[in-house]
Amino acid sequence: MPIELTLNGEAITLDIDPRTPLLDVLRDRHGLTGAKAVCREGFCGACTVHIDGQAVPSCLRPIGLLQGCSIVTVEGLAPPGTLNRVQQAFIDHDVVQCGMCFPGMVMTLTDFLDREPTPTRDQIKAALVGNICRCTGYERIIDAVLSLQAEGVA
Amino acid sequence: MMAETGYGEITTPQTLADAVAAMAGGAVPIAGATWLLRAPLRHEVLPERLMSLRGLADLQVLTIGPRQALLGAMLTHDALAGALVGHPDLAGLATAAGASANPGIRRTATLGGNIGTRGFAASDLVPALLAADATVILATGQGLQSLPLAQHLAGRGDAGLIVRVEVARSPRRAAHARLPMRKAGDYPCAIVSVSADLSSGRIKDIRIAVGAVEATARRWTSLEERLTGTTLDPALAEAAARQLTGDFSARDAVDAPGWYRLSVLPVLLRRAFTQLEV
Repeated sequence: MPIELTLNGEAITLDIDPRTPLLDVLRDRHGLTGAKAVCREGFCGACTVHIDGQAVPSCLRPIGLLQGCSIVTVEGLAPPGTLNRVQQAFIDHDVVQCGMCFPGMVMTLTDFLDREPTPTRDQIKAALVGNICRCTGYERIIDAVLSLQAEGVA
Repeated sequence: MMAETGYGEITTPQTLADAVAAMAGGAVPIAGATWLLRAPLRHEVLPERLMSLRGLADLQVLTIGPRQALLGAMLTHDALAGALVGHPDLAGLATAAGASANPGIRRTATLGGNIGTRGFAASDLVPALLAADATVILATGQGLQSLPLAQHLAGRGDAGLIVRVEVARSPRRAAHARLPMRKAGDYPCAIVSVSADLSSGRIKDIRIAVGAVEATARRWTSLEERLTGTTLDPALAEAAARQLTGDFSARDAVDAPGWYRLSVLPVLLRRAFTQLEV
């Protein structure tokens, strides 16, 4: 039986091995390369997407478990040509370096801010423990998130 | 409902009886699948026949009653951590659920998966459940079977599908201390979970469970006996633990050698006791 789900708001049907990781479906079949294939162990967070509104690593979700689910990737966070508040804050604060980890960071922090609109610095750090960056010292990322509160848009 | 794709296949039973029958036919139950999908990294072959547990309402139960807590096998670590806040006797389990792995994994990995995954030595929930003296409820071909967690881990009883865990409530306190090599993300190299009745001012009916040190978590009964009747003293507990680490045959693995796991156990016990003081 085909697997039916919603991907970035579009209903899709897949007839593939149900053991296929969602990450590979996104990248190889749909060209959605925002989710990065890095550790494939759920440790680095670079492949984070939203499944039914929750930020989770897509490398460890077999597609066969996602019947009827809603998947949102970094490409689907905001209408084409626009950025969501976290993406904009990252640009405004010149946070992005190599870019490998940032789609995952954006997905994690977008979900986090929906749950915790006025986080402390420590809460932001705790939310990011599953997103590893080898370029930055994380502090500017946290500053960018805190700036959303200061601007009253978080 | 069976999806046949030409590669692997997945079935999604809607009743426990159908699930048990599917298992008898060779289907492998998967919950969060966080262990399963790392099979290639362990040079293991993914099973061809899988069984999704999403359709089984019995596995979603969550009841924190005054006498008993019923915790469904499909509860995620994240859901558990949120539900267990504010209950001193379940504080160790709450810490285990809320500190394991990282937030994304905690939203995916389940209670049943943590118990049922053979080969995963560093489960946080298992030692916390051992310290809580939890009972596992399994769906088998003969109906529901109740089994103490320690016996289930030892492979006793009939094979079956983990439906829920039951924990008897009592006026005791519990704590959980773990040591990952980084602050977050990877597995702990040693875990200590403690639960004790401290109502008399002396340690009574203490249960100490150790995880990640040996292949399977287990109680530290010699230390329990040594500390019974003493006062709650983290330094004393650490000293007693240091004399008894020889009770374990610690495993060597890529994250830490066995001697290191043993050397940190007394420190973790002290930290757990310090949590109990609060």
